Amino acid sequence: MSFLESYAYYVGAFGLILIGLLVILVKRNLIKIIIGLSILDTGVNLFLISVGYLASGTAPIFSREGIDSGSMVDPVPQALVLTAIVIGVAVLALALGLAVRLYQNYGTLDMRKIKELKW
Amino acid sequence: MRIFLSLVVLAVIAVGIGKTLMEIPFGEDTTNVGGYYIQSGRDDTGAANIVTSVVVGYRAFDTLGEVTVLFVAAVGLGAVLAVGSASGRRRDVEPASLVLYTGCRFLFPLILLFGAYIFIHGHLTPGGGFQGGAIVASAFLLVYLGCRGRRIRHGWSKATESLGGLVFVGLGLLGLTAAGHFFLSNYLPKGTVNHLFSAGIIPIIYVAIGFKVGAELAGVIDDLVEESE
Amino acid sequence: MVSPVLLIAVPLGLAFLVPLISLVSRRAAMLVPVVACLFNLVVAITLMPGVLDQPVVEKIGGFPPPFCINLYAGPVGVLFAALIALAGLGIAVYAMAYIRTGPVDRYHLLYLLLLVGATGVVLTGDVFNLFVFFEILCISSYALVAYMGNKSGLEASVKYLIQGAVGSGLLLMGIGLLYGQFGTLNMADIANRMGSVNQVSVFVPLALIISGLGVEAAIFPLNAWLPDAHSSAPSSISAILSGIAIEVGLYAMVRMIFTVFGATSILMFMVFLGALTLLLGELCAFAQSNVKRMLAYSSIGQIGLILFALAMATSYSVAGGLFQLLSHTLSKALLFLAAGYMIYRSGSMEISSLHGMGKRMPLTSLAFTIGAFSLVGLPPFVGFPSKFLIVRAALARQQSIFTILLGFVLLGTLIEGAYFFRVVQAIYFKKGSGETGRSYAPAVALVSMFIFAALIIFVGIYPQPVADAVGSAATELLDRAEYVRSVLQ
Repeated sequence: MSFLESYAYYVGAFGLILIGLLVILVKRNLIKIIIGLSILDTGVNLFLISVGYLASGTAPIFSREGIDSGSMVDPVPQALVLTAIVIGVAVLALALGLAVRLYQNYGTLDMRKIKELKW
Repeated sequence: MRIFLSLVVLAVIAVGIGKTLMEIPFGEDTTNVGGYYIQSGRDDTGAANIVTSVVVGYRAFDTLGEVTVLFVAAVGLGAVLAVGSASGRRRDVEPASLVLYTGCRFLFPLILLFGAYIFIHGHLTPGGGFQGGAIVASAFLLVYLGCRGRRIRHGWSKATESLGGLVFVGLGLLGLTAAGHFFLSNYLPKGTVNHLFSAGIIPIIYVAIGFKVGAELAGVIDDLVEESE
Repeated sequence: MVSPVLLIAVPLGLAFLVPLISLVSRRAAMLVPVVACLFNLVVAITLMPGVLDQPVVEKIGGFPPPFCINLYAGPVGVLFAALIALAGLGIAVYAMAYIRTGPVDRYHLLYLLLLVGATGVVLTGDVFNLFVFFEILCISSYALVAYMGNKSGLEASVKYLIQGAVGSGLLLMGIGLLYGQFGTLNMADIANRMGSVNQVSVFVPLALIISGLGVEAAIFPLNAWLPDAHSSAPSSISAILSGIAIEVGLYAMVRMIFTVFGATSILMFMVFLGALTLLLGELCAFAQSNVKRMLAYSSIGQIGLILFALAMATSYSVAGGLFQLLSHTLSKALLFLAAGYMIYRSGSMEISSLHGMGKRMPLTSLAFTIGAFSLVGLPPFVGFPSKFLIVRAALARQQSIFTILLGFVLLGTLIEGAYFFRVVQAIYFKKGSGETGRSYAPAVALVSMFIFAALIIFVGIYPQPVADAVGSAATELLDRAEYVRSVLQ
C-alpha cells in the first residue's frame, strides 16, 4: 500500500478528473454534463495544488519574524489554481447561461433531443 | 456500449497519467522557480504574502488575463441572455419574511466591509482581490435572496468594472514610462514588509481587482436572476 | 523603441473602456475594435524590421526570465500579430454594417477581446500564460457563436463549449504535469531542461497538451464542433473563427511541439494526421449542400494541409505552411464575408439558392469567386505561391512516403477545386428563379471585402516580401537552441 500512501492526493485528484470525464461522456442531460465539467475542473485544481505540496510545510506568508522559509510550500501552484478557478467559474457561468437559453428554445435539456444540426 | 467505450478510453488515460506521476515525487521539494520566489519575493516585491507576490508581482500578466477572462464571461453571459429573450416579463415576487429581510439588511454592510478588508490586506494575509471580490458579490447575492425586488444599477456596476480594469492596465502602462521601462513593473516605493502601506502597486491593483470582480460577479448573478424570474 | 506588450495592453485597455463608452453611445462602441486593430497593425509593422534581425524579449514586471512572464516577439509572433490585426480590421469594418440586431456593443467588445486573446497566445513565452490567453479566445468565441440567439446557434455554442472546456481541462493537466517535472513554466526554461528527464515521462504531458490544443485547432478526431459552430455563427464571426481562431490553436500546438518539447519523434504522426484531416475535411465539404457548412469543412481541410506542411519540419515546408496559413486567413475571411451578404439576400444557406447571384449581387459574387480561386490555389492569387511552396517542400524531402502523401494532398486540392467550381458555376451560370433585381451590399462591407480581395491579388503577384518574412519565421520555429538562448541569456 505504499503507493496509495505516497500518492494519495494524486489518486484523489485523478479520480475526480476521471469521474468528471466519465460523466461528460456518458450523461445526456446538459446540466449533468456541466456538473461533470465542474468536477473535472475541481480535479485539475486539486492536482495542481498537490504538485506544490510539501510534507509538513507551511503557507508561504511571512506573517511574523523567524518563519523558516525552507518549510514553505511552493507558491506557484497556488497562484495557478487561483487563475484556474476563476477561469472555471467563467466557463461555468457561460455554460449555465447557455443552458437557460437552450431550455427556453427547446423545452428540454436532453442532448439527444437537441438535434437541429447534424454532428 | 457507450459506457464501455468511455471506460476503455478513461482506462488508457489513467494508465498513461499514472506512469507519468511516478516521475513527480509527492510531497518533496522539486521546485526551482518557486524556491526563488520564496527566497527573494519579499525583497523584490515588498509583499509578506508570497502567493500575492507571485500573483500580482512575478505573474501579474496572468492576473491581467484572468481579470479579462472574468470580464469576457460577464459580457458574454449578458450577450447570450440578452438576445431574443422576452424582456419585461417581470412578475411581482412575494416579499421575504421580516426576519430574513432585516437580517439581510443588517449583514449586507458587514459583508461588504469584510470583503474590502480581504482585498485591502491581500499582500499581508491570505486573500486578495479575487477572494475579496467574491465576498463582496456574495453580499449582493444575499440581497437578491432576502430583499427581493431590489436590483443593482447597471450603470454603476458597468462603470466599476470598467474603471477597475482601466486602473490595472493604466498602472501597467505607467510602468513602461517609469524607471526600468517594463510593463507592470513595481515602480512605487515598497515600504516596510508587513505594513499596510507597503509593496508598491500591489495593494492598488488588488483594490482595483476587488472592485472589478465584485461588480462582475454581482452582474453575473443579476443576469441569471433576471432570466429565472 | 516600441514595446511588443503594447499589442496586448492597449487593445485590452480599449476593451475595458467600452462599457463606459456604451453608457454614452451604443453605436460608438463599434468603432473601438477598428481603432484597436489599426493601432496593432501599425505597431506590428513598426516592430517587424527589428525582429527580423533580433527577436525582442519583453520581460513583464522587469524580473529576469524564467522568473517573470516574458513575451517573445520573434518573426513568428509579430507576423501572426500583424495578420490578426489585419484580418481583425477588415472583419471589424464589415461587422459595422453586418451586425444590426441584439446588444451591438457587447458583440464588438467580445470581438475585440477575442483578438486580444489571439494576440496574447502568439506573443507569450510562458505555457500557463498561453493557457490564460487561450481561454480568453475560447470563451469569447463560445459567446459569439451564440450571439444570434437562434436555436442552431445556441446548440452549436453548447457543443463547442463542452468540447472546448474538456480540451482546456486536458491542456491544464498537461501544464500541471510539466510544472511538476520541471518546476518552471517558462517555455525556454522547459525546453532547456527537456533533455534532463526521461523522454517517456514527457510523452503524457505532450499528448495531453496536443489533444487539448487540438480541439481548438480542429485536428481530425477532435473537430466535431467546428462545422456546427462555424456555420451557425454570424458570418463575421465565422470569418474570424475560420481565419484566426483555429490558426492560433495550430500555432500554439506547433510551438509546443517544436520549441517546448522538441518532439521530433511524433512529427511523422502529425504529418499523417494532417493528410487525413485534409482528405476527410475536403470529402465532407464536397458532400455539403449548405454553403456555410461547406466553407467550414473546407477550413478543416485547409488546417490539415497547414499541419501537413508544418509537421514536415524542413525550413521550406514550414515556410510554406505559414504562407498557406496566411493565404487561408485572407481567402476564407473573404469567402465568409461575401457569403454572409449573399445569404442575407437570398435568405437561405443552400447552394441552390445562390443560382444567378452573379447578376443579382455582382460585386459580392466577384469577391466570393476571388476567394474561392485563391483557396483552390490558382494564379495570380495568394493561394498559388503558398501551395506551390508546400508541393516543392514535399518533393524536396525525396522520400517515397512524402511523395505518396503529397499525392493525397493534391487529390484533396482537386476535390476542393471541384466543389468551389460547383458553387461558382451556380453563382454565374445557373438561372435564378424569382427576383433578378440588382443590389449591392452596404458600402462599408464592400470596402472590407475589397481590402481582402486587393491583398489576395497583391500578395499573389508580389509574394517576395511575405515569402521572406515567413522564411525567417520558419527559421525561428525550427531553431530551438536560439530561442532558449535569446530568452535565458
